[in-house]
Amino acid sequence: MNLEILLSIAFGGAFLTYISGKISPRLRDFLAVLISLILTGFLGYLYGKTQQISYFSFLGIPLLLRINTLSWFFAIAIQVITTLSILFSLSYMRGKERLDFYYLMMLLVNAGMLGIVLAGDLLSFYIFWEIMSWSAFLLISYNRGAALEAGMKYIVMSIIGSICMLVAMISLYTNYSTLNISQISSQISSASSGYILFIVILLFVAFGIKNAVWPFHTWLPPAHSEAPSPFSAVLSGVLIKMGTFGFVLLMYVIAGLNIFLTLGRGSLHYVISLLAGITILIPTFIAIFQDDAKRLLAWSSISQVGYIIVGIAIGTSMGFAGGLFHFFNHAFFKALLFLCIGAVEYRVSTRDLNSLGGLIKKMPFIFFGTLVGVCGLIGVPLTNGFVSKWLIYKTLILNDYPFLAFVALLGTWGTILYSYKLLHNVFLGSLPTRFEKIQEAPVTMRIPVVILSLIILLFGILPGIPLKIVNSIAVSAGFPSLDVSIWGISSEKGTLNMVNIFTAVLISLVFMRLIFQMGEKRVRIPQEDSYAAGSYIPIDKYNYTLEFYQPLFRMIKPYFRDFVDVFYSKIVKAGRGLSDRTRKIYCGDLGYYVTYIVLFLAILIAIKLWGKVW
Amino acid sequence: MVMKIIEFIISPLVAFIIGVFFLGLSRKIVARIHQRYGPPIIQPLLDVIKLFHQKGFSHGVLFDLGLILSLAGSIVVILFLPFAGICPLKSSGGLLVILYVMLFLPLGIALSGGEGANPNISIGISRKLILSLGYEVPFLLIILSVMSFYRTISIVDIVNSQGGFRWALFSPLFLSGIAYFMILPAMLGMRPFDIVSAPQEISTGPQVEYGGKYLGLSHIQHAFSIFITIALFVDLFLGGGENIFYFFLKMLVVFVSMVLIHSVFPRLRLEQALRYLWRWPTVLAFLGVIISQIVR
Repeated sequence: MNLEILLSIAFGGAFLTYISGKISPRLRDFLAVLISLILTGFLGYLYGKTQQISYFSFLGIPLLLRINTLSWFFAIAIQVITTLSILFSLSYMRGKERLDFYYLMMLLVNAGMLGIVLAGDLLSFYIFWEIMSWSAFLLISYNRGAALEAGMKYIVMSIIGSICMLVAMISLYTNYSTLNISQISSQISSASSGYILFIVILLFVAFGIKNAVWPFHTWLPPAHSEAPSPFSAVLSGVLIKMGTFGFVLLMYVIAGLNIFLTLGRGSLHYVISLLAGITILIPTFIAIFQDDAKRLLAWSSISQVGYIIVGIAIGTSMGFAGGLFHFFNHAFFKALLFLCIGAVEYRVSTRDLNSLGGLIKKMPFIFFGTLVGVCGLIGVPLTNGFVSKWLIYKTLILNDYPFLAFVALLGTWGTILYSYKLLHNVFLGSLPTRFEKIQEAPVTMRIPVVILSLIILLFGILPGIPLKIVNSIAVSAGFPSLDVSIWGISSEKGTLNMVNIFTAVLISLVFMRLIFQMGEKRVRIPQEDSYAAGSYIPIDKYNYTLEFYQPLFRMIKPYFRDFVDVFYSKIVKAGRGLSDRTRKIYCGDLGYYVTYIVLFLAILIAIKLWGKVW
Repeated sequence: MVMKIIEFIISPLVAFIIGVFFLGLSRKIVARIHQRYGPPIIQPLLDVIKLFHQKGFSHGVLFDLGLILSLAGSIVVILFLPFAGICPLKSSGGLLVILYVMLFLPLGIALSGGEGANPNISIGISRKLILSLGYEVPFLLIILSVMSFYRTISIVDIVNSQGGFRWALFSPLFLSGIAYFMILPAMLGMRPFDIVSAPQEISTGPQVEYGGKYLGLSHIQHAFSIFITIALFVDLFLGGGENIFYFFLKMLVVFVSMVLIHSVFPRLRLEQALRYLWRWPTVLAFLGVIISQIVR
């Protein structure tokens, strides 16, 4: 019964919010936050429960909802991120038009995602998947203009993915005459490996497009940068991770661990990992040279997805735990970063990395939020990103994938470059005089930033809390259990103890702080009072942000372009050219059609006369 | 328990002494090569004491905090490095954590400098990050070849398996060892790779706004980072040290050879440095990984 109520609240609440917006905008804002809070509480109550119910019957196919640890883990991440984004939207979206529609779509996306992770059969999965995809399309193109184009790119690729999914579903139904996920997974073990490979590849395309795995990533950068910032947070934090959920479902629930690892003579999971490796490396280096803060974060999302897929696809218990945990962490720190950039954009109405600077003096709160998010993204110890990346690296090193490990580690060093660029060009350096009157972000923006930062630090120091859940998912997928405790993870070849590291860092910090205190008193000076080897630094003139990594850019520019996007654009152009030519033939003029018919008959007669074929 | 606490105190202390000694030694050696007399060896220590008694100018909270973070990070890395059988944090994550905690060093300086609002700092940090991306390519390959050759990520195990002159430098990993030696000047920021500080171009880059105790702390940070970089090389390729004397001797040999290179080479440009780092050291490190996969 619980799951039906949950989804009814999610969908009903969305429409209720829309209707209430017609009465009063304040009621609508209140309802939107209230409904997402109720859903969060409800999901918290559902922790640890397993249940499966049939809620409807469609053409004799029972539609099922079910909850287990895997779906709970995804659902709670979805709900927390959406709730905080809606809270953030209250001030971010104030004064914009079509707000009823915005909140309706926000809650519909949320409901669709909850539906996906709770679906117990492939038909409901597909229905919720489409609800999510189409509401996301409407939100991406909310700002019109360039956003509309970004939305088109997204929805075209999304439809291709949906078609692949539909084909796989129909094929599964004709073979097994059921769409129930658990029944399919018990029957599929008797199928030929060629057939399983066919299904896996179809679904890989479907989920890969949503998850932006190279070479299906091209929709993501424009979509993330053009969407309203709170929705970018949802989009990057959890929506693209529905692809990850799909992968886990496909690899470890539908196909099952043993079958998946032996597909294609055991090479399939390696091929997927290689694709994920490419997904890590190339987008990282493209991100370094982006000038739009949100576009930079968008490319970074693609590369982080690479880490998740590497972990999941490599097929060991530690890698699986690392991949799933990285999904969870990425949801939080990437949402945090998008919200922070949204707050900056809200105050200074630009996100161009070349024209900002020095905002730490005006928005210290948002700066520290961004700093925590960036540390999580890099994987600095004491943030949650570190633990998941440690698990992934360790898997890659000890299971003899040294070059994948190299790619993953190098991706992290590229991450440092673009993260620091983001921090420096927005918050550090000298503050231009035109930003003298900028104020700190409003409270409804600061609350989500604080909550997300605290979550990141908490799970960085006590990673055992989510890792225990991840571990029980891994065990139910058929992996051997890991030795997880509250402070980290222990194994024969290297133990990780975050509490020890935290204590060591804390003591060293206090110690250094004391030494710092020992010296002569410091004097605070304004930013203009800086040393320039005798010459005068004019204010507003010497903020070094433009082409921050120019020497590197000069060296690697020829090699790092988005070849895939260029290739797709060529296909689109060729398709358009073909349609143009077809249009010239079918020009709508009756005279031409009569000529075609006469010519066709003439050819038939000619063949009849000389060829004597029939 | 008491031994443990003593270990925690003794390792940073030894690192500090060795690091500061190396700073003084390098000035002396360079002076002798230039046919000058040079300052006394304890001059850096005297400098630090002097600087702590001068007024320091701060640009803000992050300006202080970044420097402290960088120093605290150095101390934590030192606690992870085994020398002479001492390794206070041996069971907390191993080599991967060292790689990551080492991030605190440049990151702290970069954050602190960022609030300095001086274009020279920004240029210096941009150079530092690019240069580190340059040497991380061969460095990561080297680390991976070591970890996959010994099949562990624990640095203590790596040192233990090299006991009794079975140094990694004389094992199938020798190509990786040579590659590490080739990138050491870049990691230490010594010539021909002193692009980051480059006093004549960007007035010492990230340090330009430091004065008084800030400059003193940044000297200490420099001393720590010299110790960390060379100690890691000694641990990974020269078999660590059975006692503090051997460990120091090995470090001294490596450091003096670095100083000799430092004192005769002119500075490279950033692109030239990247081209160098991504050519021979990377090729050697790459071969090292392949060999470590075959031989193991």
